[in-house]
Amino acid sequence: MNPITKLVNLLGPASYVVQAVVASLIGAAILLAFIMGRRAARRRYFGRRDQRAQALRRQLPEILAGRILPEVWRRDPLDDRILEEILLDRLEAASREEAEQIRFCLRISGLLDKRIHQARRRRGWRRLYTLVALGRMRCPEAIPALAEGLDDDNEQTAIAAARGLGRYAMPEAAEPILERLEMKRLRLPANVLQSSLYHCCRDRPSMLLRAMQFTDDQLRPLLARVLAEVASAELGEDLVLIASDPLPEVRASAARALAGARPRLALAALQQLAADSEWFVRLRAVVALGMLQDPRSIPVLLETLCDPNRFVRLRAAGALSRLEGFEEEILVRAVQTRDRYALQALVGEMQRSGAMLAVLNGLADPLRRNRSRRILLAAERAGAPRLLLDTVLHHSNWRVRTQAARLLAESQDPEVLRLLPYYMTDTQPPRERILLVWLERRLREAGAVVRDATHLPPPRAARQPAPSAKQEQPERGIPAPGPALVRDDR
Amino acid sequence: MNTLILTLNDALFLYYLVSNLLYLFLLIFAVRASVLHQRLLASIRLERFRGSPFSPPVSIIAPAHNEGQSIAQCVRSFLSLDYPAIEVIVVNDGSVDDTLDVLTREFQLLRTDLAYIKEVPCRSVRGLYMSQTEPRLLVVDKEAGGSKADATNAGLNVASSPYVCVLDADSLLEKDALLRVMVPILADPEHVVAAGGIVRAVNGSVVEGGQLRKVRLPQRFIEIVQVVEYLRAFLVGREGWSYFNMLMIISGAFGVFRRDLIREVGGYRPAAIGEDFDLMVRMHRRLRERNAEYRACFVPDPVCWTEVPPDWKSLGKQRSRWQKGMIDTLWPNRNMLFRPRFGRVGFIALPNLWIYEALAPVIELVGLASIGAAAFLRILSSHFLLLFLIFGYAFSTMLSIGGVLLEEITYRRYNDWREVAKLLLCCFAEHFPYHQAHLWWRLRGMWQYARGDVAWGKMTRVGFAGAAGKPTAR
Repeated sequence: MNPITKLVNLLGPASYVVQAVVASLIGAAILLAFIMGRRAARRRYFGRRDQRAQALRRQLPEILAGRILPEVWRRDPLDDRILEEILLDRLEAASREEAEQIRFCLRISGLLDKRIHQARRRRGWRRLYTLVALGRMRCPEAIPALAEGLDDDNEQTAIAAARGLGRYAMPEAAEPILERLEMKRLRLPANVLQSSLYHCCRDRPSMLLRAMQFTDDQLRPLLARVLAEVASAELGEDLVLIASDPLPEVRASAARALAGARPRLALAALQQLAADSEWFVRLRAVVALGMLQDPRSIPVLLETLCDPNRFVRLRAAGALSRLEGFEEEILVRAVQTRDRYALQALVGEMQRSGAMLAVLNGLADPLRRNRSRRILLAAERAGAPRLLLDTVLHHSNWRVRTQAARLLAESQDPEVLRLLPYYMTDTQPPRERILLVWLERRLREAGAVVRDATHLPPPRAARQPAPSAKQEQPERGIPAPGPALVRDDR
Repeated sequence: MNTLILTLNDALFLYYLVSNLLYLFLLIFAVRASVLHQRLLASIRLERFRGSPFSPPVSIIAPAHNEGQSIAQCVRSFLSLDYPAIEVIVVNDGSVDDTLDVLTREFQLLRTDLAYIKEVPCRSVRGLYMSQTEPRLLVVDKEAGGSKADATNAGLNVASSPYVCVLDADSLLEKDALLRVMVPILADPEHVVAAGGIVRAVNGSVVEGGQLRKVRLPQRFIEIVQVVEYLRAFLVGREGWSYFNMLMIISGAFGVFRRDLIREVGGYRPAAIGEDFDLMVRMHRRLRERNAEYRACFVPDPVCWTEVPPDWKSLGKQRSRWQKGMIDTLWPNRNMLFRPRFGRVGFIALPNLWIYEALAPVIELVGLASIGAAAFLRILSSHFLLLFLIFGYAFSTMLSIGGVLLEEITYRRYNDWREVAKLLLCCFAEHFPYHQAHLWWRLRGMWQYARGDVAWGKMTRVGFAGAAGKPTAR
């Protein structure tokens, strides 16, 4: 008997453990050998590929100029694959002339024909990859092959075809998609369709407007969303028609489109949409009005600043805060609305947009100081004493701080007196503390008295400005009610 | 008595057999899902999403509690993410260190009067701060709530985008991680309600300026074991469960959720110990009750790097907490078990978590006791015991190796072959004494939960600067 076998037999049941340990070690060694072998194989393959890629890159000018015939590099499958990849990568960032040269090379070398042929014959993943490559080539003669890909039973392949057509960014590539949508033959994720149509219809948005007439209520919002992004002056007053569409999603997109296309009647149409029964249509209209940056929209925006929906209020505040040169007028008129939520939304948005910071910095500039003082005083009356108090303590420019303190002293606002103790701490630098003590003394001398209730009158009842829903009530102890941060919920 | 003990031993064997077969099944489908995902990626050009006006904005919420050491780097890394529209919300959860001061200094914060409307519950907010240099940054300063859930809820209350990405403030995201994790959402926004990426251990790697410069395996055994565990849990477990649309956890360190849904379920439960798990279970519940068609996806390529506990003590605390979190979520949702309206979640996913996760330490303990009793009564077959141990060892080692192999075949983050060899050796060595320690920590977690001790405890952190070097406890 073999001595090892004898030893194992001697061990009895413990031999199982020994066997397991040995088997584990052998297993680990085999695995490690597999991983290292695989790594070595990959290293060799990629090394060879990189070497060939470098060589082909060096030869690229000659290949593109046709001085090296396609037969030379197409014979080797590796070179064929590498060069196609190089050409397609280069096409992504090529100038118009260079792109034409690359496409010419793809055509005369037969790579394009090969891919078109494969797109029609292959199935599954191989067809998907072919469609991706065809999409990247952006040669119009491949559009029919890509269009056929839209009818593939496999959703991923159809998605690749739609994406490929989107890469063409040509109205001709949009046609097969729109055709199939009109005939209800295409069911792909909305995002894919939107994205493809967005790229293809940019030069001819009227295609979308026409297609909207033939599609059902399910697809019309999708097309309208794309239209909203690509709308141009070419559409003219036709856009106003979709602003009265029965579907609110379409009306909302129309608002965005109107801001992009800016037809003559845009302002009037948007003013009408700003009074729509659906809150998100009003929201879109307000955003669009903000994009127009037309001072004639100030009255409508001030109306929507008191909208029952807080998102609309915030957007209105955002739109108003971007109207440069009208800050003082807007703030004064906002104070007149007697709606503290609206006012604080406006002040908050002015802070967020940086407009208020510019105004604050103006305090240090003798030329802009008077204007800044007027605006900040209006803001302070609008219920933002904390803005000035924070400026006193934290602004990087000491001159701005002292000017802000003076402004607060002039405001004689009892709310400031109420807030001051919260701002005074034992660890404060002496200069800041002196400023706050000075401010407190000035306010007391001016006869300001601390009140519990807000100094602003209650909200105006006529336009139901104060949010009634429980969840819209701001938390107690938070600086001030006003805007939450809302961005475009596309 | 003897019959009872022998039956118990047989039941234990069956328990391990089913558990291992289940994981083998998951491994097979995880490989399939990984291959499909890789193929799909080859057909997608991510840069197309970058410039698309249809890519929805995302609010990134990063709760921070005493993160002064790394917060500036992390915020910079979040702001530099490759995504067209982001808003970064850092929630300073009552830090007693200089977290807020660091943020104020680095990003020139200014307190604002922005309104704060409490839609989901959390402790009081002391103030909101905007940056003068970075308009996409918003800092929420709040009173300490004692949990990440509470801080995240404060962030949710100010988030304005239709999707929220919840992160740990001490995590590092790869530049394109957000774009990658959004891929399934962008492809099917109607159905995909949540997506999570993979979390990997940053220990040992080189981090500079908030960016990961070089991926390296940590040096210590305790850290390498966790690397193996994370690979197994994410690449095998989550990938497999996600394939069958039964993903029950999206890691709190990196997940994207639909904001309206998160608010609909009431946000994170402030008292939850495992807030990420708890949220996912409640989301499943709500959507199943509504009979909605939905998907929660795991995406294996967007990577979030996080620091794992570098010592046994911190790791023990973390694992005890995870065990408490597991029970804390499963117990209130026990009425989902075997109810037809909750479908595969109620019939497969939750029972699996109960049997193979929550109760596993107890079952293992009972098993050990029954083996001991059998040995004492001299009815234990040494042959059977050895076969059983070898079987358990071989199967679980194979699953760990499966995770490492999947990593090697697909994503290959560890380039040095010696690091892969270390990982493989760790797959063999993790059973002694790490497994036993793990069992103890989980039992301790159960005991603590039963006693009502639900405190988070403190974790020793090295900080990214020291991640590659010797750890220094904070």
